[in-house]
Amino acid sequence: MTSVRVFFIGGWTSYRALFGWLSPWILIPTFIIEPVFQILFFAYVGRDAGVGDDSFFLVGNAIQFASIPCLFAMGNTIGGERYAQTLGLLLVSPARRVPLFLGRALPVIVNGLLCSLIALGLGAAILRVSIPLDSLPLLALVVAVSSFACTGLGLVAAALALRVRETAVLSNLVMGVLLIFCGVNVALSALPGWMAAVGRVLPLTHGIEAARALVSGAAWSNVRGLVVDEAVIGLGYLVIGLAMLKWFEVESRRSASLDRA
Amino acid sequence: MTAVLRLLLVGWWLQLKMRSRSAFDGILAIVYPLFFATSVLLMYRQGGSESALIGAAVGASVLGVWSAVATTASTSLQQERRLGTLELLVAAPTRFALLVVPMTLAMGTIGLYSLVATLLWGRFAFGIPISLGHPLVFALASVATAVGVSLMGFLLAVSAVRYRGAWALGTAFELPVWLVCGFLVPIAALPGWVRPISWVLPPTWGVAAIRHAAFGGSPWGDIALCLLLSVLYAVVGTWLSGRLVTSARTHATLALT
Amino acid sequence: MAVIEVDDLTRSYRAASGIWRRSSKVIEAVKGISFEVERGELFGLLGPNGAGKTTTIKMLITLLLPTGGHARVLGQDVVKDAREVRRRVGYVFGGDRGLYERLSGLDNLKYFAELYGVPRRDQGPRIGELLELVKLDGRERERVEGYSRGMRQRLHIARGLLHKPEVLFLDEPSIGIDPVGARELRQTVASLVEGGTTVLLTTHYMFEADELCDRIAVIAGGEIVARGTPAELKRGVSGGSVLEVEVFGSAEDSMATVRSLPGVTSVVVEDRGQAQVLVVRVDTGAEVTQAVLATLGGVPVGRVATREPTLEDAYVELVETGVPA
Repeated sequence: MTSVRVFFIGGWTSYRALFGWLSPWILIPTFIIEPVFQILFFAYVGRDAGVGDDSFFLVGNAIQFASIPCLFAMGNTIGGERYAQTLGLLLVSPARRVPLFLGRALPVIVNGLLCSLIALGLGAAILRVSIPLDSLPLLALVVAVSSFACTGLGLVAAALALRVRETAVLSNLVMGVLLIFCGVNVALSALPGWMAAVGRVLPLTHGIEAARALVSGAAWSNVRGLVVDEAVIGLGYLVIGLAMLKWFEVESRRSASLDRA
Repeated sequence: MTAVLRLLLVGWWLQLKMRSRSAFDGILAIVYPLFFATSVLLMYRQGGSESALIGAAVGASVLGVWSAVATTASTSLQQERRLGTLELLVAAPTRFALLVVPMTLAMGTIGLYSLVATLLWGRFAFGIPISLGHPLVFALASVATAVGVSLMGFLLAVSAVRYRGAWALGTAFELPVWLVCGFLVPIAALPGWVRPISWVLPPTWGVAAIRHAAFGGSPWGDIALCLLLSVLYAVVGTWLSGRLVTSARTHATLALT
Repeated sequence: MAVIEVDDLTRSYRAASGIWRRSSKVIEAVKGISFEVERGELFGLLGPNGAGKTTTIKMLITLLLPTGGHARVLGQDVVKDAREVRRRVGYVFGGDRGLYERLSGLDNLKYFAELYGVPRRDQGPRIGELLELVKLDGRERERVEGYSRGMRQRLHIARGLLHKPEVLFLDEPSIGIDPVGARELRQTVASLVEGGTTVLLTTHYMFEADELCDRIAVIAGGEIVARGTPAELKRGVSGGSVLEVEVFGSAEDSMATVRSLPGVTSVVVEDRGQAQVLVVRVDTGAEVTQAVLATLGGVPVGRVATREPTLEDAYVELVETGVPA
């Protein structure tokens, strides 16, 4: 019961602090204009290069955009807490740690989900791509699972952020890697073998593939395997991230590096 | 006149020094556009046309010039405010615009680093053979583009200063400008109503000049238009910055506290 | 001839709050103050935080437009001739902000020398001279992010003096520096005044104003509540006595009652460690000790003492009551 409470309360407090600047002047450019233009940019480049079709770029970029809040929010939350010197307090608090950090993830996943779906809808309207209406619930599920998987990676980045000073730089780099390796704009089949292999162990890749299949009319039974893979990968990163946090925590208590700027 | 030039030069040099010492402004400004350039180059390679790939390698190299300015210009004055230097800049007897222009020029210069880095990336990571028709003219067109982009950034910087979400605004402009100014996709491929917007943005002409310098054709008209528009942006920016300072003195918005 | 002439200067702010529905109210930070500073004088504006000191200075250095009244610096109007005023005055504020962290101290100075139009051939010697004055010579090539607070403050002073200003505005320069650094700072300021610079200094430290200033204006709540030489201000507080009562508990509750006792001029509560101390100014001859203790009710009381008033008491009283002593 205590764990459940910490999950929700801890999660919400932290998210509200992070979005303390909550205002339409920031939300609209960040979560609407940016993703829509990324879709348009790559769709037009795709047309010019003679690869893919609009639907390919629409789905790829919309889902990739779900990863951005997850990566940045996780990294910034934990990095920011060290900055405000509350991380030490947070780590020594008796509340169990696992729900604490997962609590940070939940609102971010919801955010990524909304962001992705809005981009998908707006992009589809502008590019006149038709998305089968009955695929929407499953599409939402795929986005949610992908967001979860990205949060796992975000947690790894956040744990690393305890060691590097430039959290924002790190999150940006991870985002760039996802952009190239996960089949967002270039299908894995068109990537060099080693890049495709890296892509298969990153979050997003399987989610994007599943979403593309759904949009072109595939049934749940066809994409189930992909969604499970995506979830397993996310879980894997989550475990790694939590283990890293645990290890850094022990380590930093010994060397008192937690509050060092 | 020489005093003004000296001021611009010293300001530019110190700003460049400062920015290249920051991982975010310096390194990331060069690395981040590479991710997009890589995506784009992979796409054109998949497309299979050699000439389109070479064209894309040049176009992609300019992406970072705009990124370097777009993401930082809109927050530069708020950064000065956070440092507590904004008041000191305003309290100096020099015209405020002359202090902001070197900031965005320094960003544009970092953008030029990104241009060179992306060209080299295309050459060595993708093996794209780029033989620049007129290397010197190419360099000149690139500098003109950077100047155009910097002065666009100057306008952005002074218009965004009183806006709390300025950083979000700047980042939101990044991709639209890539698209609208024809960095990769010809403007003719965009809907007709977009064209007038493209024409009033200096990078449109800068990119055209860079392409001409690389692949033949006369870049001079485009360079002239790019610089002409830049001057226009500088004039509007200067006027706005004057109003901005007066308004800040009226509303007490210079200090952070 | 007066170098700074301030006549009925007023500044109000409109403070807005809320994101969706902006509500605003007008706050009067400076309410029609007047004073003059003579050439070569070191004039102190003394007052607590939020009294209007910084707002006043910012109007004089043209960073803020007054909402009423006039001010002239070196004969130039701070609104109409802003550029000319900026050219001839220097501005230094306390704290460790206002410097380019990633640049060296030298680069910071070079940049501002350029901003103030210091001719190129004069820059080198001038910067060298100032580095020596503020004792930063030898450290000037290090990045400011590695500087201590005291070093930053000294760099600020050097920056403010680059263009040899005729008038220097120092806004709480000793904030956050250790006592040794603060003493050095006071020496530097004193030597500047000896060299002919007119200085307007704001501070909330009584002793600092006392030690440095030729004349002081005490400002509280946006108004000047007293002015004169430090000696004159001290004379205003002789007579009467001060009763101090150490209280272990909340002393604030009884302040109003104590203030209303006959013979009590003012009451202040100070925090001292675990206890609070009720400082009561009492008129000559009045005896209030028992009455004060009675108002405290059941709150545990420690040491009780009566002493002579100091300059500090005068200042606190001025600021608290807003009525000249």
